[in-house]
Amino acid sequence: MADPVAKEVPLNSVQVEALVVMKIVKACSATFPTTATGSIVGMDVNGTLQITNCFPFPTADVAASDSHPNDHMAASNLAAAAPRSKANVVYQNEMIKCLREVNVDANNVGWYTSANMGNFINTSLIENQYYYQKEVNERTVALVHDVSRSSQGALSLRAFRLAPSFMAAFKEGKFTTENMQKTKLTYKDVLIELPIIVHNSHLLTSFLHQLPAELPKEELEFPASLQELTADQPPIPLYPNLESLDLSIDPYLEKTCDQLLDSIETHYTELNNFQYFQRQLAREQTKVTAWKTKRAAENATRAAQKLAPLPEDEWERLFKLPTEPSRLEGMLNARQVEQYSRQVDGFTASITSKMFAVKSNLLPESS
Amino acid sequence: MAVGTDSFLHLARPLAPSAIGVQPTTAPLNVIIQPQAVFSILDHAIRRDIRDTQSTRVIGALLGVRSEDGMEVEVRNCFAIPHTENEDQVEVDVEYQKNMLALQLKANPREVLLGWYTTSLELNSFSALIQNFFASPETGTFPHPAVHLTVSTEAGKEIEARAYISAPVGVNAERAAESCLFIPVPYEIRYGEAEKSGLELISGAKDSENRAAPVVSDIEGLERAVDQTLDLLERVSEYVNSVLDEEKEPSNALGQFLMNALSLAPKVDPQDIERDFNNHIQDVLVVSYLANTIRTQIDLSQRLATATLTMGGSDALAATGGEGGGDKGQRGGQRGGKRGGGRGGGQQREPREPREPSE
Repeated sequence: MADPVAKEVPLNSVQVEALVVMKIVKACSATFPTTATGSIVGMDVNGTLQITNCFPFPTADVAASDSHPNDHMAASNLAAAAPRSKANVVYQNEMIKCLREVNVDANNVGWYTSANMGNFINTSLIENQYYYQKEVNERTVALVHDVSRSSQGALSLRAFRLAPSFMAAFKEGKFTTENMQKTKLTYKDVLIELPIIVHNSHLLTSFLHQLPAELPKEELEFPASLQELTADQPPIPLYPNLESLDLSIDPYLEKTCDQLLDSIETHYTELNNFQYFQRQLAREQTKVTAWKTKRAAENATRAAQKLAPLPEDEWERLFKLPTEPSRLEGMLNARQVEQYSRQVDGFTASITSKMFAVKSNLLPESS
Repeated sequence: MAVGTDSFLHLARPLAPSAIGVQPTTAPLNVIIQPQAVFSILDHAIRRDIRDTQSTRVIGALLGVRSEDGMEVEVRNCFAIPHTENEDQVEVDVEYQKNMLALQLKANPREVLLGWYTTSLELNSFSALIQNFFASPETGTFPHPAVHLTVSTEAGKEIEARAYISAPVGVNAERAAESCLFIPVPYEIRYGEAEKSGLELISGAKDSENRAAPVVSDIEGLERAVDQTLDLLERVSEYVNSVLDEEKEPSNALGQFLMNALSLAPKVDPQDIERDFNNHIQDVLVVSYLANTIRTQIDLSQRLATATLTMGGSDALAATGGEGGGDKGQRGGQRGGKRGGGRGGGQQREPREPREPSE
């Protein structure tokens, strides 16, 4: 990050092996709704980050020691912090050492996490990714797999990196208004999304061709009876997935609405914090001005009495101005809201087309 | 949901030279393999080291869960084990296997060692040796049978897989360690709901030249699904028409099946449909509209928070200016929303997109 010479070609896309997709999907759905995290390994070739393998981080000891069975939030938080915890760094190094022996790319290129309806933009993600980009390797990505959205239709797997400008700001830890005005940093510059391409090996392609795919083109034998037909159904092809024709959307919309409301609440808290800060600041400033006028008057009288004037900058010691709250939380919240509304747009687009299709199907005359 | 194999004859057999007092299970066994395990094996086959070993196969351990009665094992995970093989001896890195197993179990505490895999269909005396290692009470799966999965990975041929368990057989006690009877057991490749979307994406790439496919958005996926459905419907109606024209042979079973399918269409009043449709679509649009309004509001608030307001220069004026701006923004946002939330979103995005590649 600090060295611009080192990065000849900026990362512009992420290529994920099918194996990694399947492993992440499995790991994330197994722990749902608790967050799952893991490490990914691979190589970067001419600006394309090739992700060739991955492994989950152990979170078991946490879950086992947790006495509350329904307290998955705590486990979630711990799992979310896993990528930068010390024990897991050791685990990761150990695992990579082992993987190197069997010719797997022994180069840590980031981490993955699971999400639930796009709720992944939070401080935890930022801190993890910051840790990776700073400590481990600049060219690392965070893969986010959205379990709920994937169950509804197309697979939702996205790759993110922190923008260099944000990295610089986060390093200094200064998210004050003044600083943000100076650097022109907005919530849109926090994360950079990279396009993902899924890649299969030759062997895998060969294997996939053996799985049920397209319907047979040649003439088939007629079934003798209805029983035979229902008992011996043709295999369902994997692609395209007809599951996305499902009409039910309400649970997803509801969930997104809930999350939006949460975001608004966060926004208000932030706003209140800031207003409180401004009131504090104004109050202190009035006090300072009052003190200054008093001192000026005193000095004037002392000058009249031919005495040495008292120092006028003592107020800095006497009054403590409140520190400005960080704008980071608000920024992330804004980015999160943007993410939610994009998601809703996506839902709306597909559901309206589906609904119009159903309507004109049931009422052919009206269309 | 599953890719099954043919019917199998289950043989009851002793698993290992049985110790006194331990009754090993002899029940039939069914092996379920999850796709990621197969993918992992294939990946390992590609990454095999051909420099310092004469063998063309690689081996690894299978991990997964066993059902309570031990009748069914589900292979969920696997890891590679380095080994070398030449004419007269085989060497497996036992230390590595132990370490890796411990590491894997740390992350997936519910999984247990189930057996091992190799990437050739051949069963030889080395296979027996390794099988006995994995089935032994100290280092293996005893009293449960160790599963041996063979997957052929020869280029240009079909990928075949077979699952076996073993029973001890031997001419005499000295040879018992390197011989065993492999008994084929049925297996199926099964995938769950969650993996479906992943598999869809992966199989989407199988016909392309460079074996790659981009992650698609929901709406593109929908388009493909609709296209596919239209194709299927087309095919059925073509068949029905040609039966009506007496060009093709009719089939009672197919006719019945189609009738059943058609009768599934709900009989509802057109007005009800109209009403439900309108209600629902309004709900959806309202949510979308609200979401976009909220986004505009928050965007605005973020901008105002960091904007340099130079109205009169004093703090108080700047604050009131900000609030006034907020109110105006609210109204503006709502107007924008009414025109169509989706479009507003698109325009918002535009200035950001071109910047991304240059980052």
